[in-house]
Formats: sequence, C-alpha cells, structure tokens
Amino acid sequence: MSSTTVDEEVLMAEEIESKEGVGGADLGARADEIGATVGDYTVDKPRMTARGVNVYYEDKRAIMDVNLDIAENQVISLIGPSGCGKSTFLRCLNRMNDTIDVCRVTGEIKLDDQDIYDKKMDVVPLRAQVGMVFQKPNPFPKSIYENIAYGPRIHGLARTKDEMDEIVEVSLRRAGLWEEVKDRLDEAGTGLSGGQQQRLCIARTISVSPEVILMDEPCSALDPIATAVVEELIDELRQHFTIAIVTHSMQQAARVSQRTAYFHLGRLVEVGPTDEIFTNPVHKLTEDYITGRFG
Amino acid sequence: MSEEKKPQGHTMQRFDAEMEELHRLTALIDDKVRRQLMDAVDTLRNEDADAARAVINRDEEINDLDVEADDELIRLIAKRQPVAKDLRDIMTVGKIVTDLERVGDEARKIARLTIHLYDNHGSSPNSQMLRDIPRMAEMGQKMVADAMACFKDRDLERAVDVIRRDFELRDEFKSALRHLSTFIMEDARSVGHMVEIVLALRALERIGGHGKNIAGYVIFLVTGRDVRHADLNAIAREIFEARRS
Repeated sequence: MSSTTVDEEVLMAEEIESKEGVGGADLGARADEIGATVGDYTVDKPRMTARGVNVYYEDKRAIMDVNLDIAENQVISLIGPSGCGKSTFLRCLNRMNDTIDVCRVTGEIKLDDQDIYDKKMDVVPLRAQVGMVFQKPNPFPKSIYENIAYGPRIHGLARTKDEMDEIVEVSLRRAGLWEEVKDRLDEAGTGLSGGQQQRLCIARTISVSPEVILMDEPCSALDPIATAVVEELIDELRQHFTIAIVTHSMQQAARVSQRTAYFHLGRLVEVGPTDEIFTNPVHKLTEDYITGRFG
Repeated sequence: MSEEKKPQGHTMQRFDAEMEELHRLTALIDDKVRRQLMDAVDTLRNEDADAARAVINRDEEINDLDVEADDELIRLIAKRQPVAKDLRDIMTVGKIVTDLERVGDEARKIARLTIHLYDNHGSSPNSQMLRDIPRMAEMGQKMVADAMACFKDRDLERAVDVIRRDFELRDEFKSALRHLSTFIMEDARSVGHMVEIVLALRALERIGGHGKNIAGYVIFLVTGRDVRHADLNAIAREIFEARRS
C-alpha cells in the first residue's frame, strides 16, 4: 500500500508534467527579457531554502538557477504560464522528481538546516515532513477513517486506538471536514463530493504532522464553492504549517498567499509580497502575465 | 514627452475595447467641463445672465456622464477583476472623473456670480473688481487640460509641471484677494459684490487644485506611488526613481 500511494502520486505528477510540456517548448519568445530575479528571494524566517536549483530532464534544462526561500507560516504562490517550471520546482521541494528516471536536480534545497538532497536523507519521512496535495483529489479506495489513519500508522505516530482516533479527528477538524463526515467515517472516501475529497486529501497530508504542505493546483478540479472552502482552509492551515501552492488562477494567488513567485521559461522572474506583485509588479513580464497580456 | 510605450493588448480583446470606452468617456467629460468653465467666464464678460443660467443647466449633462463612467467602472471591475497597471488605470479614471465633475461644479459657481451681478437690476460692479477672473480661469483651465494630456500620454514630467503651477495659481488667488480688499477699504457698500467675487475666485483656485490632483493620479498610474500628500521635492524624487528603473 505504501508503494501504491507514492506510485499513484508520481504517476499523477508525471501526467500533469506531460500535459504542461516540461520546460515549455513554445515559450521561447521574450526569453531575452528575463534577466536576474527581481525582488528579495530571502525571508527572515525561512522554513525551506533553495539555492542555485537546476532541474534537467535528460539534457533539457527545465529549471534554471532558482533561488527562493519559503517562509514559515506563510503561503507562497508559484505562478506562471504552462510549462514555466513552477510544478517542477514545487516537486523538487519533497524530491518527488526523484522517481522520474530522466530527471536530475542540482543545487541545494534545505528544510530548516537539513539538505534534503543529502545522500543520507530518507525520502519517506521527508515526504511526511513536506506533504503534497495534488490537482485531482486522489483518496485511497478505503474508508474515510482509513484514508487518514494510514499515514500515521506507517509512520508509527499512534500507539493506541484512542491516539489514532484523536489524530483522525484533529486532522479532519483542521481540514474543515469533521462535521460533515463524523457520522460516516466507515464510508468510502471516494463517495465524497469533489471538494470534500480534496479536503480529505488535505486531512490525510496533515495527519502525519508535516512542516510544509505543497499544493499543485489544488482547486482546479473543484467548483467555485468548494474552491472557496479550500481557500479558506489554506488560510487557516498557515497558522500551523508552511504552504507553497502552484496555481493558474491569478485571483486565487492574490487571495490566499502572502508572497508570490513568478516563473517564466524555467527561471524565477520576480518574487515579492503578493500585495505588491498584484498592484505594482516590477518586471514587465510579470505585469504582462498577471494582466492577461500573454500566457 | 511620452514616458512609456502603450502596453500591448490583452489576450481578451474585449477588455481593451472596454478600457478604451472608459477613456473615451473620460475625455468627453474633460472636454465638456472645460467648455463649461470658459462659457461661464464668457457670461461674466458679456454680462449675460441668461447664458449663465444655460451654463448651470448644462451641468446636469456632466452629472449624468459622471454616473455613467462610475457604472462602467463597476462593471469592468466585476467582469475583468483587473490587477496591476490595469487596476491602477481604472482607479485613476474613477478619481479623475470625480475631480472633473467638481470642476464642472466650480464652473457653475462662476455662472452664479454672473446671475448675482447682472440679474438683480442693482448696481453693476466696477470692472476692475473682476480683473483677475479671466486670467485665473485660463490658468485653471490650462492646468486641467495639461493634466488630462499627461494622463493620455503617461507623461510624468509634464505632470510635475502641472503640480508646480498649482502654487502659481494659489499665489494669484492671494494676490486677487489683496486687490479686492482695497476696494472694500475704499467703499464698504461694495462688500456684497465682493463676497460673491471672492467665492468665484476661490472656485477658480479649486479648479487648479483639481488639475493638480489629476496630475498626481497620473504619477500614481505610472509609478504606483501615491503622491497626493507629498511635497514637490518628494514627487520629483519619485519621478527620478521611476525613470531610473
């Protein structure tokens, strides 16, 4: 079951990547305008730091020299046109790219002071520390309870049934789902609505007490009401977790995040406070993208 | 001088069309209010109370256009959810239209002066008392026209010049008040006329203030910095920094 989970997620990640077309073959235009990253990529209290990160798919360079801090208890949005590398970069943060044979990551990514690409690093606990929520809700074909209990069980986080019950309840409460499912925890997770399934996946991610949650377009398969619920949830979750979210929705980035990073052709073009990026961006490419002039 | 190239069009071309319509409406209001101002000054020069009443009645058209522009703005924000430069552009238009509508209100006050002076069959004022009105009206009208040209061309240097000219107009206002006070000292019976003339001069000084406001909005539009309450040196610094970046 353990390998099934990771495999499912990797397959899904690969599927998304292939849709986006890694590195964006058709975005050569305006490459000469990019230059060095505009804005301060460092923060006072970083939870994760990326320095000089490059990602190659065989000989194709999909991410180029990206430096970026991810601040504690903040939401950072990664935005940019399809194929700009934002999802590829996101997946570097918990080594999801390791499972793609042709993918090679260079540079340094640290979680607190720990180099996550260190040879001694065990990726299984890493992916508990840096959890991930995908575009399409992907609950296990198990009960609601088991969807949440599975992770804590394999990571040995609960010694008794009572402890497990508490983890399940707290996780579902934090995901804003408890009141809706508390009387039917034995029912299949796949029987929930799309928005509820996505919140179940968020509950599953937080059940193993991660430090960072990565979200790859978590609302793109949801209706507007379910999207609003998840966005509200993201805002509440940042009290306890650090969150990085990839989104195609400019409004969503503006609503949920405190910092925004704009990627183009594998480079980090501009990063800064979301309020400034959406009112007065510095780089022309950022301005043209967020105002809908290309992308 | 144009500070920057016009941005390329939106992927959604109807957005561009709607923005153009909003700018066209703003230009129309600008044209009408400045004509109102000069017409109001003409009624004074021609001592024509009937024409002054026509000026006052025409203010309704400007009020209607003001409401139309606001409706258009709200629709655009709701439909397009603009950000960055588009958002600043729309907010700037909203503020400009409000200032222009108030220029129209000030023009109405000049027309009211004409009615007060020439429609009551009382004593006409000494023409020297009205000496400063045409010149101040021309200065104010030119400030508004230039500020609107800055808006059209995104011209920061000229915007600073408009803001600077507001000091000149305020000096003119103070000078006109001193000039009027000599008439009161000579003949206290003219005080009734004086009060009305002072109100008209004050209206002209305010028109310059609206021109200055519009120039300030242009600086906000281009640089993203709000300079409404900054002094001229700070504004010049903003322009310098904007040019350097």
